[in-house]
Amino acid sequence: MRKFRSNWSQGDRERYQERSDSYRERAGTSYLSRERWTHQEVVTSPLPKPVATSSLMASSVDFKTYVDQACRAAEEFVNIYYETMDKRRRALTRLYLDKATLIWNGNVVSGLDALNNFFDALPSSEFQVNMLDCQPVHEQATQSQTTVLVVTSGTVKFDGNKQHYFNQNFLLTAQSTPNNTVWKIASDCFRFQDWAST
Amino acid sequence: MCSTLRKCGTYRTEGRHDHGRTKGGSPFQDNFDKRNPRYEHGGHEFLPSERQENDGSVEMGDVHKDRQLRHTPYNIERSRKLVKWHSEDQIYTTTWRNRKLPERKMMEDTRDGKTRAWFKVTIPYGGKYDKAWLMNSIQSHCSVPFTPLDFHYFQNRAHFFVQGAGTASALKDVNYTICDDQNRKICIFVNQSTAPYSVKNKLKPSQMQLLKLTMDKRYDVSKQALDLQSLRFDPDLTGHDIDIILNRRNCMAATLKVIESNFPELLSLNLCNNKLYQLDGLSDITEKAPKVKILNLSRNELKSVWELGKVKGLKLEELWLEGNPLCSTFSDESAYVSAIQNCFPKLLRLDGRELAPAMNVDTDSSELMKPCKESCNGSETLKHTVLQFLQQYYSIYDSGDRRGLLGAYHEEACFSMTIPFNPEDSAPKSLSQYFEDSRNIKTLKDPYLREELLKHTKRDIVDFLSTLPKTQHDLSSILVDMWYQTKWMLCFSVNGVFKEVEGQSQGSVLAFTRTFIVTPGSSSSLCIVNDELFVRDASPQETQSTFSIPVSTPSSSSELSLSQERQEMVQAFSAQSGMKLEWSQKCLQDNEWNYTRAGQIFTVLQVRSGNQVGKRRLSLGRQEGQEDGVRVAWGWNSGHLALLTSQLLLFFTSSRPRARSQRRPSSRSPERSPSTSSLSSLTSSLFPLFTSRRPCPGAALEAWPIRKPKLTGRLQCHNHPKSHLPCVFAPLMIPVYFHNKE
Repeated sequence: MRKFRSNWSQGDRERYQERSDSYRERAGTSYLSRERWTHQEVVTSPLPKPVATSSLMASSVDFKTYVDQACRAAEEFVNIYYETMDKRRRALTRLYLDKATLIWNGNVVSGLDALNNFFDALPSSEFQVNMLDCQPVHEQATQSQTTVLVVTSGTVKFDGNKQHYFNQNFLLTAQSTPNNTVWKIASDCFRFQDWAST
Repeated sequence: MCSTLRKCGTYRTEGRHDHGRTKGGSPFQDNFDKRNPRYEHGGHEFLPSERQENDGSVEMGDVHKDRQLRHTPYNIERSRKLVKWHSEDQIYTTTWRNRKLPERKMMEDTRDGKTRAWFKVTIPYGGKYDKAWLMNSIQSHCSVPFTPLDFHYFQNRAHFFVQGAGTASALKDVNYTICDDQNRKICIFVNQSTAPYSVKNKLKPSQMQLLKLTMDKRYDVSKQALDLQSLRFDPDLTGHDIDIILNRRNCMAATLKVIESNFPELLSLNLCNNKLYQLDGLSDITEKAPKVKILNLSRNELKSVWELGKVKGLKLEELWLEGNPLCSTFSDESAYVSAIQNCFPKLLRLDGRELAPAMNVDTDSSELMKPCKESCNGSETLKHTVLQFLQQYYSIYDSGDRRGLLGAYHEEACFSMTIPFNPEDSAPKSLSQYFEDSRNIKTLKDPYLREELLKHTKRDIVDFLSTLPKTQHDLSSILVDMWYQTKWMLCFSVNGVFKEVEGQSQGSVLAFTRTFIVTPGSSSSLCIVNDELFVRDASPQETQSTFSIPVSTPSSSSELSLSQERQEMVQAFSAQSGMKLEWSQKCLQDNEWNYTRAGQIFTVLQVRSGNQVGKRRLSLGRQEGQEDGVRVAWGWNSGHLALLTSQLLLFFTSSRPRARSQRRPSSRSPERSPSTSSLSSLTSSLFPLFTSRRPCPGAALEAWPIRKPKLTGRLQCHNHPKSHLPCVFAPLMIPVYFHNKE
């Protein structure tokens, strides 16, 4: 069931080229725009509207769109999140939804207030993300709210503690406005890989 | 030659003679004579002393000159040997590497009355570590216990001395074994050295006695205070010509020794006006007099707060520092106070002034929250549902066929997998099979590949999962975090370990974190819409702690649970039937531990099974594992051979994928269509054969509709005259007892 490039019709290939070009372009612009951000939000370009066609090709193209978009959002988001966590800790909760929950090594922290307190109490951190993976979440689960599952892994060193390997999962939801899309964390699960030994 | 030798010999003695005779000689001679005894060890060879013998002082001069001249060639010759120069206070040695150092040292040491060499241990960047932590780490990592002497810092390096070559080599081994906070390894260098200052210049016992007396006089018992102000100029000490300069290591060490032995409960120590430049020597006070609460270091020569850090171990309440150069280095009062408070957080009074209690960096708050074993987020029923789902999922996953998972996934589910390595690095052997399909967005930039590696429909997913190596998950040790829950979906992560049970890296234990997003499916089951798998090498701890309990499939019963009586039954049945213990046990269990009934069933089945088996076996024609038919050397006909070989083949090929479990999980329904006649025919034909020690490969139920008979050595008994066992059941011994299970 793999779709090889050669199998695609010319039209599709062109569209794909476009998209991949625009991906690269957008990557450049978003970096610049990131510096101008004052709100520490993850903002991407407006979501492309899924084209309602009946062909199988079209649906797979749509899926590809979702995947692309999910990947882009995940990448940018992860960069911003960990940088904020390390350097601008107090701004971190702006990346969470109001009712977001954090499961931190099994400890449940829910609600913006609790999150604020938690992040204040957490010692300063130095994150190093080595692995990142993302998947678009099926709309059946999210009732058509665009959601991306992001999974990261790497090492972290909290002040006064030794270095740990960690795994973290996020659910990012998109809140679309006409001009842009704002991604926020709906839920967050963080765990040290050596949770058993501590 | 012998003449030269003789000359040497005479010369040596002559040398000694000289020593005796020429007392009033030139200074050169004196020195020279002093050196004489040192050269017994193949040192310099002197000129023949005939001239000396014969003549008087005139010749002396010549000889000296000659000696001088002749010194150099001998030096060159002896360049490979140890050259020792002896002077009163110091011993210089030139040693070569790769030589046993202690042996060389032995020479002088024995002379000096010491038996063990001294070594200086250097820790570069030792200054940034807490002294107590550092020494403790080294002590714990070192195989030989040692006492560090004269610990001091020099330009951010930490040094201390130890005695004894064994200790030194043990310490050398500690190099690069200790990890600090930043996971960097600590270097430790060990070099030979002269004795440390405090040992070399150790106070003589008489001096120690005097010091003790002096200190006694200065001790205030009521306040437990020791006043060592201007100790050097104490009239008692100066009267006896003893110079106790506390800045010097030996004196400080002696003082601390006296404190330790006489005043261990010391509370207040006054070291005012002692010209202390460093506090390296005083740092031992944390061990010797740990209860000191009041310390007066005023009017000394301390230049920085870093010096104070050396006595950080003391829990000081009152500190006096005025009159030290360090006080003027601070821009203002508060900076000074806070710097001191950093060092001694519980300090109450500084230089006589009360301090506001410091904003204690509460260590508790800087500790991280302890990881919980479980994230208790969710109702019990939900947990139960999830656990059940996982058990079901993994039981299918661990079985040979993962196609059963098709039912668990949504039509358009997504799956991706990652391992924690970059494609540029070479993957470790254990993760090699996951390497190709690892999807790491951070390193993978090609949008096409990104999409490729994300498996989209359920068929794709299950197809892919079937290509992954066969695994065995340890469900008893998994940790589930349920982190998001709405009416329409549930998100949870599973952390655990699994073992690979086949393939290249068989037996390796890997750790995984799997994130599922599920929606409620039909009939209270869960339907996976997203599945992300992260696989990594398991740490040694994880490997040990899990899989320690032998994994038993739910329907199996371990032998451990058998009572004594039953165990005996099993043994007896096994002996009589000739089956292996496990099969005997199974047979007995199936028959509710009714021995006779079990036996009857056994024989009946044995009889019933027969020829059909043999026929079917022949039609197999599998070629693998021909070597398994090795036992076939008994002069049978080819039919027997074929039967035997095929049977063995089937056994081996079918039993390998199984994790040696004798039982099938109850979820599987093994086919049970016995063709008993075939079995019996096989049995009868194979009677004479067989020394099979393996159980009947009843496990190959899918492959074969027929139970294979288990043929045991005891079958021989029937036809062989030298049967050595009571074989009542002998002719009928086919353990096809699972027929009974229908």
